[in-house]
Amino acid sequence: MKETIAVFFGGRSTEHDISIITAISSVIRPLELTKKYTIVPVYITKTGKWVSDTKLTDVATYRGSKIDDIVAKAKPLLVSFDGGLTINKKRIDVAFPAMHGSYGEDGSLMGLLRMAGVPFVGSDMDASVVAMDKVLAKQVAQANNIPTSAFYAFSKKQFSDDSTSVVKTITRALQYPLFVKPAHLGSSIGITKVVSDDQLYNAIEVAAYYDNKIIVEEAVNNLIEVTVPIIGNDVLTPALVERPLAKEDGVFDFDTKYINGGKKGGAKQAGAQGYSQLPAELPEGLYEKALSTAEAVYRAVGASGISRVDLLIDSKTNKVYFNEMNPLPGDLYRHNWRAAGVSSTDLVVKLVEYAKERFNEDQKNQTTFESSFLKQF
Amino acid sequence: MKYYWTRYVAIYPTALLYMLQDTEYRLDRYIAWYFRTRDFRHVMKRRTLELTKKVRLLRIGIWSLWLLANSAVAVCIYMSVVTQSYTWGVVALGIIALLPFILAFGVIIPLIIGRLVIQLPRERAIIEEGRAILAKHTGTRIAVAGSYGKTTAKEILLTILHEGVRVAATPGNMNTAIGISRFARKLKGDEEVLIVELGEEQVGDVKQLASLTRPTMGVITGVNEAHLVSFKSLEQTAATIFELADYLGKDATTYKNGENKIVASRAKADDNYVYSEKGVNGWKVSHLTTTLEGTQFIATKGAKIVKARTKLIGRHVVGVTVAAIAIADSLGLTAHQIEAGLAKIRPFEHRMEPRKLHGAWIVDDTYNGNSDGVIAGLKLLKESQATRRIYVTPGLVEQGDKTKEVHELIGRLAARSADMIVLMKNSVTDYIVAGLQHEKFAGELRIIDEPLEFYTNIEHFVAAGDVVLMQNDWTDNYV
Repeated sequence: MKETIAVFFGGRSTEHDISIITAISSVIRPLELTKKYTIVPVYITKTGKWVSDTKLTDVATYRGSKIDDIVAKAKPLLVSFDGGLTINKKRIDVAFPAMHGSYGEDGSLMGLLRMAGVPFVGSDMDASVVAMDKVLAKQVAQANNIPTSAFYAFSKKQFSDDSTSVVKTITRALQYPLFVKPAHLGSSIGITKVVSDDQLYNAIEVAAYYDNKIIVEEAVNNLIEVTVPIIGNDVLTPALVERPLAKEDGVFDFDTKYINGGKKGGAKQAGAQGYSQLPAELPEGLYEKALSTAEAVYRAVGASGISRVDLLIDSKTNKVYFNEMNPLPGDLYRHNWRAAGVSSTDLVVKLVEYAKERFNEDQKNQTTFESSFLKQF
Repeated sequence: MKYYWTRYVAIYPTALLYMLQDTEYRLDRYIAWYFRTRDFRHVMKRRTLELTKKVRLLRIGIWSLWLLANSAVAVCIYMSVVTQSYTWGVVALGIIALLPFILAFGVIIPLIIGRLVIQLPRERAIIEEGRAILAKHTGTRIAVAGSYGKTTAKEILLTILHEGVRVAATPGNMNTAIGISRFARKLKGDEEVLIVELGEEQVGDVKQLASLTRPTMGVITGVNEAHLVSFKSLEQTAATIFELADYLGKDATTYKNGENKIVASRAKADDNYVYSEKGVNGWKVSHLTTTLEGTQFIATKGAKIVKARTKLIGRHVVGVTVAAIAIADSLGLTAHQIEAGLAKIRPFEHRMEPRKLHGAWIVDDTYNGNSDGVIAGLKLLKESQATRRIYVTPGLVEQGDKTKEVHELIGRLAARSADMIVLMKNSVTDYIVAGLQHEKFAGELRIIDEPLEFYTNIEHFVAAGDVVLMQNDWTDNYV
């Protein structure tokens, strides 16, 4: 008997389109090829409409206006929480969120699936919330004695109320060059490197366009930037330490990640794969140190299933800093997993098994108890 | 009868044309396929119908038949109403019931007529022309015969000899009388060496082709179960392939693959032309290394030394390569020329052709169709450095009464060589599975219905460190 897996993708996020590719290429196709599962695709439009249709598993659907027709004609999704999750009368055995950014990767969807009582792939709600908030994640890391670069965080309102004061506080606490980022966005959207106050003002305005919370980080000197994909619940399996090769300005931005690596960049492989050193060639001892730091972050945040931990290395001091965490890496970072010896089909099967494992463990926890409280009324 | 209705679906006429094309208009194979097929909705799995001129004409023919039959039904119904007679109704029902057969066999009538009236006389003329050209040609003629390995042997010889002499060889699988004659018509006449591949499907074929090409030297690459359906026995196959040796005579130079048991058993103990990975005719092989990157060895004969480096993979190619070295040497090529030729040899398309994919090695041996090739491939897989060995096969066709035996052997060998086995579901799958069970195969077994699915999605199945051997492929008419 095949298990039914609902794959959630799209969503009200700046990474909507990336999510479609992750879902179709890295999740749905490999799951189908295993012949072990029946797939229920659940596409969430940019405006938040939920649609399920078999045509949604073809990437060609999204290139033209076909998707608009499907969405317009789609009947409202029938979802019921009945001691589990049922979508359009199909009982869902496991949910597979393939969403990036807000209203998906940030714990929102995980909360919903948690309420529904269905196993789901990836980190639970709390870890997703922490991981997707760059400020919270750094604070958790620091609390666990994991170094981070110096940073300052503030709200959009603080900046709009008194931008001069905010900038003054930043420049007093941190030294240029600085990185300005929206606190909750992934895929390097809204990130700017700045070296002066003027640039800082502009960069904060850009970040504030995307998010209510902004983080400004001090750059790490003699920088080597690496990333480590990890899977597992209690027993962790890291892939290879990968070194994204940033542009001269030191920013590994959206275009470099998803566009330039392909046609524009002329790289052999599309996206990040064309601009990475895999495995990273690091000075002696640093490779292992990067792996152990990444695992420490994964555990500190309470991640499970899959995550990718970005690290910054000062190549002179050999100090490894935690930078960011990505609870659902774009494309599942399957190019790295393949290089580490895990095929795309094996990867999704493992992730589904981790989801069930964590769910079964959670089921052992007592959530109610008998009391006479109501009798007094 | 459960699927009889599928002969009335709209795709049925196209399916018939597709199978005619897929069987290369071989009517025996087409008819055999027709009676084997139950569900006509799903016959086009590997490709779609190619709209050649021939297909377009046949399509007009088949739809004309359909129109004619349906018009006849309409007339019968009309007559039934007018005459108030059941007879016409019964006739109409009979036409409807027989319509699938009318289309299936009606469409081959123009083919039969065309073959008898046009094709055969034209082919006879071409063969006679080719015979005359070859009779006058002054070049040394090397004929290559065998159940398997002919194209590989021919291509190795061609590439090496090209370095020192003017040489031509029959292209691709052009190994029938008409193919060889067409090749002859394209010759310039100044070639010093001709390499001719002799095909065999029934007793007497090699003798007939040998008399057409008049070889002066031969290579017998092996004898196995290929085309056993038409040969009936391995003895008949061996006798047919050895028609080349018979034609050349006792004193002629006929290189024979000593690593093939049947060929070795037919060679005399003192035959210098029996080749193996150890050498041939005084040439000795040493320092042999073979990996997925290629094969290297040193061949020596007295003071002559050839350092062979080729991109071909597998130990089974060493014997025929050293035979080619010996032939090239006998034709006057220098060691330097031979080495240069060897260096230019590349794996042949779909024949032990390795490529890298995401850090994995994919060995494409899908054109292989014989048990010796399977054994060689599985040996290579077993000896490969890999984190995971994956073997993909549908099995072999045309193994006659050896089908069960051959596929159980494949299962046993695969169990010892692979960690994961992917089988394309067909009539021999159960035999391979029986072989796997015999060896208590503990790896992962996948049996898939869609033959192209694994090939086209292979990037999803592999990871760095894997070695994937994809052997054999069945055209739809064999499934």
